[in-house]
Amino acid sequence: MGMAIAFIGSIACGLLISLSKWSELFILPILGLLAPIAPIAWVPLALVVFGVSNLTAVFIVFMGVFFTLTIATVAEIKRLPDNLLMTAQNLGGGSFNCWRWVIIPAVLPGVFTLLRLNFIAAWMAVLAAEMTGLRDGLGTVVMTGRNLFNSNLILLGICIIGITGFAVDRVLLFIQRKFFWWQV
Amino acid sequence: MAQAPRSPSPLSPSPLSAGPILSCQQLTKAFASRRQTTTVLENIHLDVAVGDFVTILGQSGGGKSTLLQLLGGFIAPTQGQVLFHGVPLKGITPKIGMVFQENTLYPWLTVEQNIGFGFKVRGKKRRQYQPQVSDVLEQVGLSQARTLFPHQLSGGMKQRVSIARSIAVQPDVLLLDEPFSALDIQLRRRLQGFLSTIWQDTATTMVLVTHNVEEAILLGQKLLVIGDKPGRIIETVDLAAAPFRDRYDPQFLALQRHLETVIETDAQTQAANLPGTYEPLAPSTPNPIRP
Repeated sequence: MGMAIAFIGSIACGLLISLSKWSELFILPILGLLAPIAPIAWVPLALVVFGVSNLTAVFIVFMGVFFTLTIATVAEIKRLPDNLLMTAQNLGGGSFNCWRWVIIPAVLPGVFTLLRLNFIAAWMAVLAAEMTGLRDGLGTVVMTGRNLFNSNLILLGICIIGITGFAVDRVLLFIQRKFFWWQV
Repeated sequence: MAQAPRSPSPLSPSPLSAGPILSCQQLTKAFASRRQTTTVLENIHLDVAVGDFVTILGQSGGGKSTLLQLLGGFIAPTQGQVLFHGVPLKGITPKIGMVFQENTLYPWLTVEQNIGFGFKVRGKKRRQYQPQVSDVLEQVGLSQARTLFPHQLSGGMKQRVSIARSIAVQPDVLLLDEPFSALDIQLRRRLQGFLSTIWQDTATTMVLVTHNVEEAILLGQKLLVIGDKPGRIIETVDLAAAPFRDRYDPQFLALQRHLETVIETDAQTQAANLPGTYEPLAPSTPNPIRP
């Protein structure tokens, strides 16, 4: 859910930032400052603000991917060949329709690919959160194993974490191939 | 050779279109950088009549594409102005369509959706424009390929779709920027025939830019040769009275040779001169078309 919100939010923000030179000048550096903060670093803040709840996990995932994705969206928009947009304008498209029918579809695959790559970082952050504060989830299973000196439980937890991460990545890859397969 | 009878234009002629549909006077374009100003085009005079097919011939990098972008309103001239239906052109307009040299099809849309894109981007409903798209698909012979995506098409088909997409929205003028330059010779010749047929069927005014002399002669009703550095018109050939259809016609070959000499002589003269200064050119071979 955090990923979905981050995906939609970052594309929307990226588009808005690209609309004006000034916003690019002022907002992008702030994002550049926030993007390198490791998702794990948001864990304490998330725990303070949201307490021990699922919302914390959603927040951490969101923070882990949102800034990078927004910067990526702006970069993708800049990378688009001029002719693609000029053709749409030449065919009579107004600016809203050009954004809607040309720029958004053109940037979707690139941003989604980055989302998939960033998923690993977000996934790790959630596990860290589960180990440190949240009361359930795979991270908690591993920590319970540690507390009980049960190495089998620890290894089981690690295996499940690996398999689940791999499975989610495959699902994202499937979505990418099925819905965002084109390249501009 | 006589032209095939032209069908009436799908567009009702504008009341302003008694004169040339597209014209420019003393058109100059210079690109300025910090260090220097480069004049790409200088003093271009051009009149394109309704239903005309004008070909602009010149060397690569000689400012042909810049001229086409000026005519389409994609860039603004440094001096002079472009008149469309007698009114100064203010920017990009759907009435002047453009087919670019490189592929500009939208990769996420099928052939049919690409052709209908001009309607979609104007906010029209699919059922409103679907019949028109089907007609255009039929006209350009792409009905079989309607559900294919651009990456599944050959280079020639992609350009056919690009041309079809532009003519679907019925522009008054269609500008073509070396549309066949990336294609092999056989395909290029087939597509030249295709374009000629489209021109006759739709009666759309066309301006085609090319560095290929044969293409310029075969397609054009009026042929302009643009010299290099800065780009200016160095030769005009009127082919409307007797358009060539046979590339082995001795007169065709003579004209081809003449134009090649004109371009080559100009390039040599410009290379010998100091930048920015040039002399009017005296062609070394006579123009066989000129009386």
